[in-house]
Amino acid sequence: MIRFPTAQLLRIVVIAAILLWSLAPIGLGVLTSLSTQTDAQAIPARWLPPHATLDSYRSLLGGTGDYRAGGTVSESGAFTHALWNSASITMLSTLAILCVAISAGYAFARLHFPGRGALFWAIVTTTVVPVFTVVLALFGLLADAHLIDRKLGLVLVFVSTTTPLAMWLVHNHVKQLPTEPEEAALLDGCTSWQAFWHVALPQMRSGIAALSAIVVLLVWGEFLIPLLLTSTNASKPVTVLIPEYIGKYTTNYPLLAAAGMLAMLPPTVVALVLNRHIRGMLSGSS
Amino acid sequence: MDRPDTASTSGIVLERVRKEFPGGVVAVRDLSLTVEPGELVVLVGPSGSGKTTVLRMVAGLETVTAGQVSIAGRIVTGLAPRHRNVAMVFQNYALYAHMTVRANIGFALKMAGMPNHEIRTRVNQAANILGITELLDRKPRQLSGGQRQRVAMGRAIVREPAAFLMDEPLSNLDATLRVEMRAEITNVHQRIGAPTLYVTHDQTEAMTMGNRVAILHQGTLEQIGTPMELYERPVNVFVAGFIGSPAMNLLPATLDSSGDHWYATVGGCRLPIPPTARAALRPFAGHDILLGLRPEDLVSTHDMRDSEHGIIQATVARTESLGSELLVYLSLNGDTPSRPLTARLDRRATVHQDTPTRIGVNLQRLYFFNPTTGAAIR
Repeated sequence: MIRFPTAQLLRIVVIAAILLWSLAPIGLGVLTSLSTQTDAQAIPARWLPPHATLDSYRSLLGGTGDYRAGGTVSESGAFTHALWNSASITMLSTLAILCVAISAGYAFARLHFPGRGALFWAIVTTTVVPVFTVVLALFGLLADAHLIDRKLGLVLVFVSTTTPLAMWLVHNHVKQLPTEPEEAALLDGCTSWQAFWHVALPQMRSGIAALSAIVVLLVWGEFLIPLLLTSTNASKPVTVLIPEYIGKYTTNYPLLAAAGMLAMLPPTVVALVLNRHIRGMLSGSS
Repeated sequence: MDRPDTASTSGIVLERVRKEFPGGVVAVRDLSLTVEPGELVVLVGPSGSGKTTVLRMVAGLETVTAGQVSIAGRIVTGLAPRHRNVAMVFQNYALYAHMTVRANIGFALKMAGMPNHEIRTRVNQAANILGITELLDRKPRQLSGGQRQRVAMGRAIVREPAAFLMDEPLSNLDATLRVEMRAEITNVHQRIGAPTLYVTHDQTEAMTMGNRVAILHQGTLEQIGTPMELYERPVNVFVAGFIGSPAMNLLPATLDSSGDHWYATVGGCRLPIPPTARAALRPFAGHDILLGLRPEDLVSTHDMRDSEHGIIQATVARTESLGSELLVYLSLNGDTPSRPLTARLDRRATVHQDTPTRIGVNLQRLYFFNPTTGAAIR
């Protein structure tokens, strides 16, 4: 006989609700992206597209722009270029953040130097400062450095806003790792730097994988900062480009949905591939 | 600088070494200790006694607050671990998880810039000694506890270091494997001959492996000597209680002398004191002392000879048969509150629970301690 206690039932209901909450919009997005504009706007709603088509994807990726909505997207190939912008900004930022966060986090966790605690908490505290409060100052700073509407400008801002959090995660991760292998390395003839490079870093592999995924997701999804600091398609990431598909008088919903789906794809792949490590790092057991 | 950079003895020498942690906790107090070349000295003590700190100071993983450490005739007090030429086996093995066994063992040689073919030869030799040749291409996670232990040993011996340090290397192994590795480490040590400092909290390891055993208690060296010396002639109550299993019985007693007859009165029983012990006990005549009785020096009345044994009266509280012997937990009669007394009797001894019984005490093997200072009286 299968036991089916109330607690079990409740669990299933809650999980189902969460799944519906998070997956339904995506499902709706997929269906809409495969519809024609007419079917997408039909009343009563046609949930399953009667004339499924990949036209929206084709026009986004092909960049030929047979039909565009709103009129703000004017250049051909704008979407693929925005994808490239997002990708290059994310990769560069992640690389820089990882380099700084790993070495700083490790140093704070393992090395003894005066002012360590104070300095560490001073850096970590900056993670609670909302970026909105400094965004005007940031704009001024970047304008002076001629970095407005430049990918490098965005990368620098992301590095400075995300590194403290990443460093904190690395610090906590390193704290959980046993110190003995590094000590063994010191006795085996390593300098502190060599012990870090040859022994500590390889041990941190899964932590670093998780951290990369977290940073990629954070940077890829950034909206406000690039919205304020970019002005042309030369540097706009997808997150800023997509809202421009919403026109003043009319919106091409299938196109909008297709753009959303495409923009979601890279972070989804990253999350799925590194899922195991992310769970480990967030639960503190990796 | 007129400070000599060589010490008089080779081996591991600690001179008045002190370790004070920030916050004022003193982990090690003025410790002086020498491990001669070819010798294995076991540093034993309860947890928190500072034994691991001593080892880490020799390794250079912990700074020395005061005093001097030298290894193989060279003062290393201020040197980084990599300049000390010591190898250490850690309690949890501390293997490099991402490297194969071969790379683990050869790592120190690689860091020293040794050519690859020579590394290969020496790793093979070390693996051969430890019987792990077929494991060389595996990763540590594919190994059992005992195999990891061997790899950790291999990593230490391949370097031919000036000194060996071992930090409770057997404590993560199960009982059978521990006995096996104990013999193995002793063999390897005899073969390599480097001075070895071995830390453990297990007195069986200390007694079976050490050429000499150093007993550490609250950062202070209580006694150092051969295992037999520590067992036969403990300098104080702490050493007496620490060495020997089950632990020595320590009973408050009164020393009475009337002419030629000397007695220690304990729990209403009078134990005659042999003439040989009297000289040292003279200042305590008429006073309280602490009487030490090893459980193995107590016998059932069947095995007793009148000339050698005294008698105490006690009630059997509990017995444990170990097969080869019988552990009997007694409470002394006429003593309030009654004190527990452990006896290790012949397995055929007949004792009955809750029954008053007579226990023989080997009078030649009584230990006496000053009840105030805990120092041995002899």
